[in-house]
Amino acid sequence: MTDDHVSDADGEPAADDYGVMETESHEPATDGGRTRGDVPSASNGLLDRFSVVFGRRFLVGVLAVTLVFLIGPVLLTFVASFFQSWTGIAPSGSLTLIHWEQALGLVETVGASRGLGTWVVDVPGTGLAVRLPASIAFSMLLALAGVGINLLVGIPIAYAVTRYDFYGRDLLNAVAVLPIVPGIILGIAFLRTYPNLPSAAALVIGYSLLKTPYMVLAVQSSFESMELRQLEESARSLGASWPRTFLTVLVPNAKRGIVSGSIICWTLAAAEFNFSYIVYSRGPKPFSLFLFENISNNPFQRAAAAVSIYFLIVALVTALLRATGERGFSTGGVR
Amino acid sequence: MSTLDSESLRRTAVPETERDRERRRIALLSVPFLALATFGAFVPLAQMLRISTSQSSFAAEGFTLAAYRELFASMVAYLPVVGDVLVADVNPVYGVVVWNSLWFGALTTVVSVAFGVCLAHTLEKYDLPFEGTIVTLLSFPISLPGIVAAFMMIVLFGTTGVLSNALAFLAGTEVDTVALTGQPSGTTNAVVGLFFGYLYSMIPRATFLLRGTYAEVNGDAEAAARSLGAGPLETFWHVTLPQIRPGIVGAVILTFRTALAIFGTVLVLKALSVVTFRFDQEIQVGFDLPMASALAAVFFAFTLAFTFLGLRFTSAEVSEA
Repeated sequence: MTDDHVSDADGEPAADDYGVMETESHEPATDGGRTRGDVPSASNGLLDRFSVVFGRRFLVGVLAVTLVFLIGPVLLTFVASFFQSWTGIAPSGSLTLIHWEQALGLVETVGASRGLGTWVVDVPGTGLAVRLPASIAFSMLLALAGVGINLLVGIPIAYAVTRYDFYGRDLLNAVAVLPIVPGIILGIAFLRTYPNLPSAAALVIGYSLLKTPYMVLAVQSSFESMELRQLEESARSLGASWPRTFLTVLVPNAKRGIVSGSIICWTLAAAEFNFSYIVYSRGPKPFSLFLFENISNNPFQRAAAAVSIYFLIVALVTALLRATGERGFSTGGVR
Repeated sequence: MSTLDSESLRRTAVPETERDRERRRIALLSVPFLALATFGAFVPLAQMLRISTSQSSFAAEGFTLAAYRELFASMVAYLPVVGDVLVADVNPVYGVVVWNSLWFGALTTVVSVAFGVCLAHTLEKYDLPFEGTIVTLLSFPISLPGIVAAFMMIVLFGTTGVLSNALAFLAGTEVDTVALTGQPSGTTNAVVGLFFGYLYSMIPRATFLLRGTYAEVNGDAEAAARSLGAGPLETFWHVTLPQIRPGIVGAVILTFRTALAIFGTVLVLKALSVVTFRFDQEIQVGFDLPMASALAAVFFAFTLAFTFLGLRFTSAEVSEA
C-alpha cells in the first residue's frame, strides 16, 4: 500500500503530502495501518518475517506429517498381515499367507470361525473339497444391487435439476445432494418399519438411499459440462422422441460421470457400517460386519489381513477411477 | 410448477402444450428419487417418531411422551446449578452423552478444518512433486469406514502399536502407560486415541471441501499484496482468508455434521460415550427402542436444523473439489 493512496482516501491536500511522501517512501511504512484507519499494516512483523523463511517449509511439513498419519498405518497393516507375529516396533517371524487364508475362510479356524462364510464344493472324481469365499461375493452383490437402484434414481434426478428450471428445484437439489439422514439414524428408523423384510433387502434399500448423493454429484458434473438444451433440441428436431433422446443421446454422453459415480457408490456401499450394524439380523453377513468382527475379536494379524482385503479393493477401485479421469474419491467430499 | 391445483395436475398428466410436456418430464424424472426417499427415508423416520412415543418396545402401542421427558430431564440434570435445583434426583446420563458429542465434535472439527486449510493451501499454492499422487493418497481415507479408521489407530497407538511402542522405548516406560487404545473408557489416553481416530476420518473430508473453495481464490489479489510488500502470513490473513471464509464456514458445518454421526470408530475404540454410542447401548443391551428412537429423533432434528440453518443463514458456501 503506497502512501499517496492513503492520503487521497483521507482527502488531505495533495500538495502538503508530497514532501512527506518523498521521505517516507524509502523506508518501510511502519505506521501505515495503525494511524490511518482501515488500511492493513504493511509492516512486516516478526511472525510475518518468520513466515517468509519458514512458511512453505511449515506447510509442506504439515502435509508430509498428515500423509504419514493417513497412509502409514495402511501400509503397516498390509505388511503386518504377511508376518507370523508383530510385537513391538518391527514385524518378526517368517512370511506367511495363513492370516489371509483364515480371513478369507479358505482354511478351518479353531473355535468360532470369524472368516467369511464359505461354500464347500466337492470336486467330482477327486474327493477334494474346495472352499470358496461365498460371503464376500454375496456382500459385493448387495452393494452392486444398491448401485443399480442408485443409477435408476440418480441419473433422472440429476438430469431434472441440471436441465430444467422449476418450482422447488433448489430444495430438491439440496435433498438429493446432501446426505440428509445419518446411517445410524436410518438404521434405527428401519428396525420397526420393515420388521419382516429380509436383511438383504433392507440393506440394499439403505445402501442406495445413503449413497445416492455421490451418484447425483458425479452424474451432475457430467451433465453440467454438456450443452443439454442443444443436444436435446438437435435430437428432437431429427425426429427422436423425448424418451429416446434421453436414453440414447443424453445418458450415454454422461458416461464418465455415471461410471465414476457407480464405482464410488459401490465401494462406499460395500464398506457401509453404521446402517448395516443396526439393521442386519440374519442371513449372510455384509462385508463391513465381517471387518468389524475381525477388528474387535480376532488376533491382530488376521484382522490386518481382513482389513487389507478392503484396502486392495479400494486401491483397485481408485486405479479404475483415475482411469476414468477422477482423482480418487474426491468427488464425494461429504458424507 | 408454481401452482398445484387440479388443472395443472391434469395438464401434467395429459399434456397439451410443450410447457405441459416439460412439466411431465420433470415429474417423471423426479418420481424414482421421490419414491426412494419416501419409502427409504420419510416413512421409516415417521415410524421412528411414532415408536418414540410408544408405550411398548416391541410394537407401536399407546401414546406417551415418557421417553422425551426422561431425555430432557436428564439433559437438564446435567447442567450445573440449574440441574441441581430443578431435577435433583435424575440420572444425567443423556446430558453427559450429548455434551460429549458436542464438545468432542466441535474440537475435532476445528482441528480438522485447520488442517484442511493448511493442506488445501499447500496443494493449491505450491508446485509439489507427484501432486496427483498426493491428492489420491489424501482421498484414500474418505472411502474407509469408521471401524477401519479405528483399526488404523490401533496399528499406530495400541498396546502393540508402532508409535506407542517406539515412544515407550524412547521414554523407557511400559507401553501400557503410553498406549492410546485399549484403555478404559473416559481416560485421557483413550480420549486422545479417539481424537486421532476422528481426525483420520475428518481431515481428508475437510481438505477436499476446502480444495473446492481454494480453486476459486483470486490469485491476482494475492500477487498484488505480495508485490506491495505484505509478507506471506499477512497476505493470507488480509487477502486470502476473506475470500475463503464462506468456504471455511461451509466446511465447518459439514465436518461437524460428520463428527456427530461417527459411530464405528467409537464402537471399536470405546473411549468416550457419545450419542451414537448410546444408540448401540439402548438397542443391543437394553432394547429400549422408544428411548433410542426419541434420542435419534432429537439428534436428527438437531443435525437437520443445524445443517440447513447454517448453510442458509451464514455466508457458508459448499463447493466440491
